[in-house]
Amino acid sequence: MKTDRNPQPAGQGIRQSMSSLHTWAGLLLGWVLYSMFLTGTVSYFKDELSQWARPELAHLSQVPDQAVVAQRVADEFSRMDGGVSQWSMRLPDARNNSVYAFWRTSARVPGQRGFAEANFDPATGHKVASRDTLGGEFFYRYHFQFHYMPVVWGRWLAGIAAMFMLVAIISGVITHKKIFVDFFTFRWRKGQRSWLDAHNTLSVFGLPFHAMITYSGLVTLMALYMPWGERAAFKAPAERAQLAAELSAFVPPGKPSGQKAPMASVEDMVRQAQERWGRDDVGRVNAVHPGDAAARVVVVRGLLGRVSMSPQYMEFEGTTGKLLNVRESVGPAAETRGVFYALHLGRFSDVVTRWLYFLVSAMGTAMVGTGLVMWTVKRREKLPNPDRPYFGFRLVERLNIASIAGLSLAMTSFLWANRLLPSSLDGRANWEIHVFFIVWALALLHALVRPAKAAWVEQLWAASALLFLLPVLNALTTQRPLWHSLAVGDWVFAGIDIMCWVLAGFHAVLALRTARQQAGFRSARKASRRAPIAVAAGGGAE
Amino acid sequence: MIHVATLALCLAGFAALAFATRRQQREFLGGPLQPAATYALRAIGTCALLIALGILVAWQGWGLGLVMFSGHTSFAAGIVFCTLIGYARREARTLQRR
Repeated sequence: MKTDRNPQPAGQGIRQSMSSLHTWAGLLLGWVLYSMFLTGTVSYFKDELSQWARPELAHLSQVPDQAVVAQRVADEFSRMDGGVSQWSMRLPDARNNSVYAFWRTSARVPGQRGFAEANFDPATGHKVASRDTLGGEFFYRYHFQFHYMPVVWGRWLAGIAAMFMLVAIISGVITHKKIFVDFFTFRWRKGQRSWLDAHNTLSVFGLPFHAMITYSGLVTLMALYMPWGERAAFKAPAERAQLAAELSAFVPPGKPSGQKAPMASVEDMVRQAQERWGRDDVGRVNAVHPGDAAARVVVVRGLLGRVSMSPQYMEFEGTTGKLLNVRESVGPAAETRGVFYALHLGRFSDVVTRWLYFLVSAMGTAMVGTGLVMWTVKRREKLPNPDRPYFGFRLVERLNIASIAGLSLAMTSFLWANRLLPSSLDGRANWEIHVFFIVWALALLHALVRPAKAAWVEQLWAASALLFLLPVLNALTTQRPLWHSLAVGDWVFAGIDIMCWVLAGFHAVLALRTARQQAGFRSARKASRRAPIAVAAGGGAE
Repeated sequence: MIHVATLALCLAGFAALAFATRRQQREFLGGPLQPAATYALRAIGTCALLIALGILVAWQGWGLGLVMFSGHTSFAAGIVFCTLIGYARREARTLQRR
């Protein structure tokens, strides 16, 4: 009797099923994920980009004494017209050259919440007049809530995309059967095989990061996505206040006494915090009801070197400076959330670790990008007529061009707009963002009307040119050209200028290679008419 | 300085692990190595990575040490990978010229 030694499973095997799941989970929101990854990657240098976007704020060669700075800005608040009922200031540190503060005015217009914000000069405590811009904050906010839509919708979209990503990561690991054997494998000039090797390498080398960043991204917004447990467990206002205290350094303001009283020295309060945590390890100072007998001041610890976002703070009585409360730990559940939050944001990092975050996150961006491109490479080889592909193929191909090459163009255009838009323009910060989206929309239009290969090459060259010329534009429009930055040791401005050239080179290489592959593809097709078997063995080229 | 030392250890570790794989042995060393040599390369690579982890954990504690280790290993693996590609391409060009 004959027996089948290799019986075939009746349905699809687990790897086959996971492969299909991986393909579609990666593709359906792949373009959204790519933009989230790339803007998230540059957000590791959000503070530096914000400094670059405000060239009017002077470079700080060393961090000023935070206690003295806090007192200066607190004095400025006490002199403000109309009075201030609440203020919060982020003190300058190694990555921030100004004091960013927001406050609530006492005299409120009905229907308005009366909030205002500004940057303050650490040396004088006065407001600094700088151009109206979100700077690096725009990329950061876009990364998890997008734009032109309600914030909650954007965050839900980001959450759904992150869930797709998590599914793609898990199914990708199951699909990839030779993770260790193929760990260092790259087969050059093998068409689809080369793309697959590149995608696998980018995925596997950064796998711990990719899994961590996706999962922790979901944790950062878990209260939005899954609020029911919290709602069921904490019903009374006191319980909810206690929960809030576990998650942030926000102190409920309570009611003012109505009795005027001068503030005690904020400098002394910050000094006590410095003695406890270190000279440059104070992050924020918050005050409620300053100038009232019921005033409270909270000095919040910075995040450097601490893999947790859980709040640590010292609370003082505003009028006497008496220490009321020190909070340096939270419960295990809140701490778990704090650690995941910190891992996602990476704000604890020193310079080297920040660069490692940036580079591995860039690998993640490239992983999504190669995955998207691979979808078309794989199917191109099977097209009955490559000159007239079906609608779905054309759609994916064009969206790939606009979301990968087009996003580079749009992000660089945002930086160009920062330098070119006049300071007097109404809603200037919004216009920088409008420029970003206008250029991105034009990139999509261009991708739709041009042949695919030409669109890739042209957009990559355009991005390269814009990036290359950005340091030149910076030199022409500000007092801080590269040579000046290098001379005074301003590594924020010098670093961004140099990075622009590195990225310009990267885009130029991509453009050149794409153009060359185009020629190769044509010649491969010509050769296939002569010797179809040889080309089939060699694989197609993108 | 500790970052440099750790990165160097991770590079050495991944280089040893790369040469412990059959594909790299065939491509760069002309053929498969003796099993003992392969095991030795695996042991050297693993030890180098563990020493790097030990240094980082001793320096920054488990939390930050593990984060830095993850970054250094990903970066070092990328460098070794790109170096292998560059070397293989150069060899291929040299062979073509001959």
